[in-house]
Amino acid sequence: MIKSIGIVGAGTMGSGIAEVAALAGIATVLTDTSEPTLTAARERIAQSIKRAVGKKRVSASEAEEANARITLTPSLADLTACDLVVEAIIEDEQVKRDLFRQLDRMLAPHAILGSNTSSLSITALASATQRPDKVVGIHFFNPVPLMKLVEVVQGRHTSNDTALEAFELAQRLGKTAVLCKDTPGFIVNRIARPFYGEALRLLGEGVASAEQIDYIVKTEGGFKMGPFELMDLIGIDVNYAVTKSVYEQFAHEPRFRPHAIQKQMVDAGTLGRKAGRGFFDYAGAGPNPPKAQS
Amino acid sequence: MMEKHIWILGDSPLVEEYTALFVQHEFETRVRINPEGAVSRVPLGARQFVESEQITSAVLELTALSQETKRKNLVLLDDIVPFHIPILSASVTATVAEQASWLKYPSRLIGIGAFPTLLDSGTIELVQSPTTGNPARVAAEQLVAMLEMHVALVEDSVGLVMPRILCSLINEACFALAEQLAEPEDIDTAMKLGTNYPCGPFEWAERIGAKHVLAVMKALHRFYEEDRYRSAPLLQMAALRNMSLRKMNG
Repeated sequence: MIKSIGIVGAGTMGSGIAEVAALAGIATVLTDTSEPTLTAARERIAQSIKRAVGKKRVSASEAEEANARITLTPSLADLTACDLVVEAIIEDEQVKRDLFRQLDRMLAPHAILGSNTSSLSITALASATQRPDKVVGIHFFNPVPLMKLVEVVQGRHTSNDTALEAFELAQRLGKTAVLCKDTPGFIVNRIARPFYGEALRLLGEGVASAEQIDYIVKTEGGFKMGPFELMDLIGIDVNYAVTKSVYEQFAHEPRFRPHAIQKQMVDAGTLGRKAGRGFFDYAGAGPNPPKAQS
Repeated sequence: MMEKHIWILGDSPLVEEYTALFVQHEFETRVRINPEGAVSRVPLGARQFVESEQITSAVLELTALSQETKRKNLVLLDDIVPFHIPILSASVTATVAEQASWLKYPSRLIGIGAFPTLLDSGTIELVQSPTTGNPARVAAEQLVAMLEMHVALVEDSVGLVMPRILCSLINEACFALAEQLAEPEDIDTAMKLGTNYPCGPFEWAERIGAKHVLAVMKALHRFYEEDRYRSAPLLQMAALRNMSLRKMNG
């Protein structure tokens, strides 16, 4: 039974994981090498918990206890007593492997190493440690406090016990866990690829405009967002990077081939909402709403 | 205003879905379901179509599973229906341009994105090829308006927009299932909770039917001649065995 969690990386994902762990009554240590990032994380978590109190999802006393359960520290050494350490750092295999190698030397033999990677191989990360049976993917979705899904990814050497512990932990955090094998993109980031890829091809071939495609996907298919507004929200650079990663890991399988339109938009800096412009224009009066056609 | 007489020919379950909609909107509906269809009964509220029948206002040809049957139906309709009557043809597995090449009066042909389950949505994709005449387009738009639905006019392409995206998602899920990435229920759950999809790929496949999904993938593969659109072996097996995809991973 996991009683204490360490999280490395205090960005949006790391602080979100810390928040849900603390709210679930688990002692939580959140670490980051950057002091300003830690300060921002403390503020982000406090605000998020406050909103949960406002929406009556959490009582005032639970909120106070949760905030008190989180230790923020710039030192990795403060993680040594944790039963599970989840990394939520930059999506770079070498950087993650270096971190796992370091944690492997510091942590107790029973401790589990979890990765919040969205597309890197858990098996590859595990090979940097002497405990590949205790390395598991625990992939949360953004924003962590709101999104219910956690993909528990079993690498080639991940033991069933480790996968089960991660699975049960996700449930304790109030999430719906799904178990999957360690293949590129896992479930969501793999199966969602045609949603974007085919939409981009339809646009490129002039079958329909981005507005039309979004309109059809929402009204005909019942999706909450069309592929183009969703790419704008995620960030066209982020979406392109995931597609490229899955494509390369699948040995250039044509089904995952990135589209030239996306690369050109990344090159042009039209990255979506965060840049004020992507497939739609967000400057000034806000995004152009997809138009109905009749 | 167009008179409320319609002929509907094609595959099950599309014919049943469209017939229900037209009957609900008080159209006098004549129907013929292709022999290879699973259900051969005339849907409630409609009557069997006979070739010697009187003139209709418009014709729907909703075959997607067999090119040969589609061609036969269209050639027959082109022969027996007066040339000014529009033919709306399901254009998910064949372009309007290809279908038009089979006809003597191609200007009356307009494509329709008819695909199982999508009729509940309130939007219908229509396809105007360069051969489609304006009277056919206007009549088709009028017909869709009489059904209280919206038109999305798109260019001529196999799979159109929604069926192409949907079937590609299901096809990818089939590849993943064959690799035992996860249980089908977990794949559905992950896509609904992780991306807010209204349904999981296997839930969709269950409603659409593996045969229709396969027909779209095969049509895309034939049209583009790209490996990207090859259909997952699991999907092919499910379609051949008429089995649920969810039961194919055991």
